[in-house]
Amino acid sequence: MTEKLLNEDITRQISEVFGQLKESVKVLFFGQKDGCDYCDDTRKMVEEVTALSDKLEMQVYDLQDDAETAKQYKVDRAPGIVIAAKDGDNLLDYGIRFAGIPSGHEFTSLIQDLILVSGRDSGLAVDTRQFLQGVSKPVRLQVFVTPT
Amino acid sequence: MLAHQMALESPLIEAEAIEAMEFPELSDRYGVSGVPHTTINEGAADVIGAVPETHLVAEIQRVLGASKSQ
Repeated sequence: MTEKLLNEDITRQISEVFGQLKESVKVLFFGQKDGCDYCDDTRKMVEEVTALSDKLEMQVYDLQDDAETAKQYKVDRAPGIVIAAKDGDNLLDYGIRFAGIPSGHEFTSLIQDLILVSGRDSGLAVDTRQFLQGVSKPVRLQVFVTPT
Repeated sequence: MLAHQMALESPLIEAEAIEAMEFPELSDRYGVSGVPHTTINEGAADVIGAVPETHLVAEIQRVLGASKSQ
C-alpha cells in the first residue's frame, strides 16, 4: 500500500475544517507523463484532500491526451490545478488556477480556495467587489510563490 | 489567496498561483526574485509582497486605466 502524503493529524484538521463546506467543488488536475517531477505528488495530494469531503471531487486529465480540455481551461503547464464550482452537471470556472505543487504555505491556499469556491463568495469588501464587477477588460493575475 | 478571491468576482479576471522554482523561465520573464510577486496582465504592473486588497485594486485600476484600447 502506498504511503499517504498527508499525515493523520493534518487529515483530521482538514476534515474538521471541511465541515463548513457548502456547495460542491470540482478540482480538475492536469498532469503530463514526462518532464513533470511534481505531477505524481501533486495528483496524490489533490486526491487525498478531495477524498476528505463528499462536497469535493477531482478529475484527472493529461495535458497531451486531453489537449482539448486543457485548451478549454487554458492550462498549458503541469501540474496544473483548476478549482471550479459544481452545480449539478454544470461547472463554473472562476479562473482560479495553480501551477506547480501547492505545498508548504501554498497548501493552506489550496484548502482556503476549496472553502472559498464552496462558499461561492469572495469574502472581499463591498468597494472591492463593486470595482471588480465593473471591470470591462481582461485582468490576468499571476502570483509567483514558493513553498516554505 | 487574494488574487483567487478577486477572480471569483468577475469572469474577466483570472488568477494563477505559480510555484516559482518549478517554472524558472516564467519567473525570469517577470523578474521574480522575492515572493510573493504578482504580475498583472503579463508585466503591465508588478506588486511585490503580500499586499492589502486596496493596494491590488489600485494597481489593477492603474493598469486598466493606462491601456489604450477600450
